[in-house]
Amino acid sequence: MFRQTLPRTLVLLVTLAGLALYAILGGFFARELVVSIAILAILAVSLDVVAGFGGMVSLAHGAMMGLAAYTYAILSVKLGWPLLPSAILGVGASAVFGTLIGWITGRTTGIFFIMATLAFGQMAYTVFFKWRWLGGDDGMGGIKRFDLGWAGIDLDDSLIFALFALALLAMVYAAAAWVLRSAFGRTLSGIHSNEDRMRALGVNTVLHRARALGFSALLAGVAGILAAQHVLYISPELLVWTVSGEVLIVVILGGLGTLIGPLVGAVIFVLLKDAISDYTDHWHIVIGLLLIATVLAGGRGIYGQIEHWLSRRISSPPEPEEAGDA
Amino acid sequence: MLEVRNLCKSFGGLQVTRDISFALEPGERRVILGPNGAGKTTLFNLLVGTLTPSSGDILLDGRSVRGLSVAARARAGLSRSYQKNNLFEALSIRENLLLAAAAGHGKADTILRDSFRDGAVRETVAQVAEQVALTSMLDLPVRSASYGARRQLEVGLALATRPQILLMDEPTSGVGPTMIEGFHRLLHSLPRELTVLIIEHDMDLAFDVADRITVLNFGEVVFEGTPEETHGNKVVRDIYLGDWQADA
Repeated sequence: MFRQTLPRTLVLLVTLAGLALYAILGGFFARELVVSIAILAILAVSLDVVAGFGGMVSLAHGAMMGLAAYTYAILSVKLGWPLLPSAILGVGASAVFGTLIGWITGRTTGIFFIMATLAFGQMAYTVFFKWRWLGGDDGMGGIKRFDLGWAGIDLDDSLIFALFALALLAMVYAAAAWVLRSAFGRTLSGIHSNEDRMRALGVNTVLHRARALGFSALLAGVAGILAAQHVLYISPELLVWTVSGEVLIVVILGGLGTLIGPLVGAVIFVLLKDAISDYTDHWHIVIGLLLIATVLAGGRGIYGQIEHWLSRRISSPPEPEEAGDA
Repeated sequence: MLEVRNLCKSFGGLQVTRDISFALEPGERRVILGPNGAGKTTLFNLLVGTLTPSSGDILLDGRSVRGLSVAARARAGLSRSYQKNNLFEALSIRENLLLAAAAGHGKADTILRDSFRDGAVRETVAQVAEQVALTSMLDLPVRSASYGARRQLEVGLALATRPQILLMDEPTSGVGPTMIEGFHRLLHSLPRELTVLIIEHDMDLAFDVADRITVLNFGEVVFEGTPEETHGNKVVRDIYLGDWQADA
């Protein structure tokens, strides 16, 4: 059951403030890193909604993100639609895709659910990989960022865009936290905890899981729009299953089922990858070792482990004083 | 209110229930008796939709529920407690009841509000907690609760959905005499408009609360009558003394 505790709120605020400060004080590359963190964190938060609170480990989140990005590009670049409606429809397309996957796979759990989402994700990847009108494996360029000139905001400025990405991350986190604390989110956690009993209480668990995956895909779609506007170019590589695998690693690394943990995991993942890449191309090895250590330590993730350790320290009774101590 | 017509269930060549028929009147307390393997829990699973009957029908308020899912039957008013505890182990007793009450109030789906803060839901939780004597333990995690408290919560979850018909599968299974006394009080305190169907091995409880008793053996109804009629019935006595044999 989700709880937005004070420590979690503090970590959220400190992380966002730290990233904003890093973008303000750092140069262009620091801002690029901040945007990469924001995209990965949005995707990780969206995955945690279903994996951490609904028990639905999805390998289709890359495809959901990519579908939103492609829909945005098709509508705005190919069809010349205004940018904001294109983005809204992009996010909507991702939500519909997620709901459909959830509806079709709603009765499967565990490894079968994972494999079904992998299949859907790879099917979407193949469609865009083969579709020459959309550039096939060469991808598509010509994508534009939102024009917020009416508000005096220039998203082509790297600092402004980095802060915009952080604002989107904050909004996605707030939306996820809101939904998880709503009746819908409580029920989702109940289904994760004991699906048979929730059914016996009168809950249509298949429909509920489908809606949850749709909401998660909607959030993943926001990451897709941001990714498309970040590099102004998209390719089928956005949809490939390894993207989903990487996000899953970030969620586990940070702390599955904590919501803030995946955000922390995204920060660690991107910064660590950047730092290690200065010395070697084999950054995967270090991330892999960190993941193994995290899993062996109890699977709570880095944030989850710290939270667990702190809660034990606070709740543990004080050591009894020995009689006769001066 | 609830009518069971010629209900049969077979698993391959094994016939578990045979032509079971009975009808419950609104507000009736009906106890199902029978030795182990008589098909009592299978009957419950057929009623709530966990199992699909091989033949026969189940009517709720005159309408067949055969095509309805477990969840749809629960929403129609059929709620059950389990013989083996089937709870939300990671949550507190209060959170367990809140989940059930939110579902019972039809407030399990909205994203606009927190069902745990809903006034009507919380009121139901308070009432049910009082009924099942768990008010003082509401914030206890289920995994830390005693077996007896879990049995009470098991019934509490079913009650919190505000059912029309409450199905209780051996509520006193494995609990001591003091707690059985508590179940006597609980069953007598339930509103009279609630229809209750109970599988129970404790004879004192069965005869105390039942308006009518249905006895199953080898998957079929072998007797139905009032507690007084059941007391004096030779077939029932023989079943419980082990002399009864199914017709070949």
